[in-house]
Amino acid sequence: MPTAAPSAAPSAAPSAAPATATAPTTPQTRVWDLFVRVFHWSLVLSVALAAASGFLLESRILLIHISAGLAAAALISARIVWGFTGTTYARFAEFVPGPGAIREHLAGGNRHLGHNPLGALMVLALVVLVLALAATGLVVLGGVDKSGPFAPWVSYAQGSGVLGLHEALAFGILALVAMHFAGVIFESRRSHENLTRAMVTGVKERRPGDHASAPRNAHPTLAVVIIGALAAGAWGVTASQAARPVPGLPVATLDATYKSTCSECHIAYNPSLLPAAAWQGIMAGLKDHFGENASISAAEAETITAWLTANAAETADTKVAHRLAARITEAPFAMTEQRYWKRLHAEIPEAVFASRAVGARSNCAACHGDAEQGRFSPFAIDLPKETLK
Amino acid sequence: MNRLAFTLAALLAAAPAFAQDANDTSAAKLIAQYSAEAGITASAEAGKAFFLANQTGGGADTPSCTSCHTADPKAMGQARTGKPIEPMALSVNPKRFTDTAFVNKWFGRNCDSVLGRECTPAEKANVLAYYSSL
Repeated sequence: MPTAAPSAAPSAAPSAAPATATAPTTPQTRVWDLFVRVFHWSLVLSVALAAASGFLLESRILLIHISAGLAAAALISARIVWGFTGTTYARFAEFVPGPGAIREHLAGGNRHLGHNPLGALMVLALVVLVLALAATGLVVLGGVDKSGPFAPWVSYAQGSGVLGLHEALAFGILALVAMHFAGVIFESRRSHENLTRAMVTGVKERRPGDHASAPRNAHPTLAVVIIGALAAGAWGVTASQAARPVPGLPVATLDATYKSTCSECHIAYNPSLLPAAAWQGIMAGLKDHFGENASISAAEAETITAWLTANAAETADTKVAHRLAARITEAPFAMTEQRYWKRLHAEIPEAVFASRAVGARSNCAACHGDAEQGRFSPFAIDLPKETLK
Repeated sequence: MNRLAFTLAALLAAAPAFAQDANDTSAAKLIAQYSAEAGITASAEAGKAFFLANQTGGGADTPSCTSCHTADPKAMGQARTGKPIEPMALSVNPKRFTDTAFVNKWFGRNCDSVLGRECTPAEKANVLAYYSSL
């Protein structure tokens, strides 16, 4: 960061001196501190990653989406703390504008060394939107995937309802990012400076007539303590929520007769994967069970049917129970024949199903590590490496 | 999660093995019994032919014993569901045909799936002789 040696011709019109590397003639000043710059570009990265992974709607990269989104929210939280403890131009008090300042700026008022009033509104809007996205995302994760801190509180219906809001907010942040780009380009041209570079170097030209603020000291130790306390609080809440029971989970312990009798030929399907009526239909037709004779004794059949009925899809609040199982009403009651199932598995090559490690579409547990628990969490999917024999 | 899945898979794979642990019979005893019922001398050759043949009358997806057990009884088979099936050959899997209930259950189911009927005592004797000869 070479600072300009204040040379002659100090009163030359500043707008005549382009802010390129030719001949710096005006004094430079540090506007964006290291925290603000690292924060800004980290946020760019995390929001870009969260948006890209989110719009792809690909369950296998959901973990990337969630990590990037939570990283963005953590960055914003730290930035809020820095907004009260940081250097001059990092402070909310310095840049949050009143109506007067906005009017003055819109009327073509003098340049702001820090955030100009419109830029400041953008900062606030992004802060609110990123936090809202993280919050709604966690609600969806809790209700739909029965994971994360909201899992004990949110039903599937609530979670999938909030998904619409989460998506709307995502489009909102895309719009804000587009406006932010436009604003940066417009203001860079208007004030003849490269605002993007200033966010890298932290340095801006100081010009006569600028709206500038009296220097304020940063309190980095205080900031670290507060951010640490927030992180500890978030961790504590997450840990205590993880210890709470999650309502609506499928029956976890499989009936012994069911398991020994029905998992000889296939995986022990969790009873939450079919409605009670479908289970009863299957149990009544074991003589031709998906093309094979799977007869069992009447006593076994009675025990198993009762247990399946008592724990059928109607009793579970999982995504698979609502989206897949609830719709299976007609013989042969095959999950793999459902449109929803086919859509979710459309990209799996036939060779994977045909491989020795999988063998059949109905072998859910070959890839879904939590199939027998009826969870089908997006985080438990793992295609066998040996997809070829 | 993977370790859990592995443990479950191991338990599941072991379940049928436990299920045929009654140890109340043997292939030799069953061959003698079925042969007496049929009034024949069991033939491994005939058993092999029966095992490898394409049958009619059963399910569309299971025209032959080999549909699931593969053409090599010494090898692991695989059910249409992807589930592995222990080898049938006694030299590889001595636990085969040691549990009367298990034998009856699976002859009952699989003969119906492949042939659309029960197997005759002669067919059972021959195929057991084949499994024992390998």
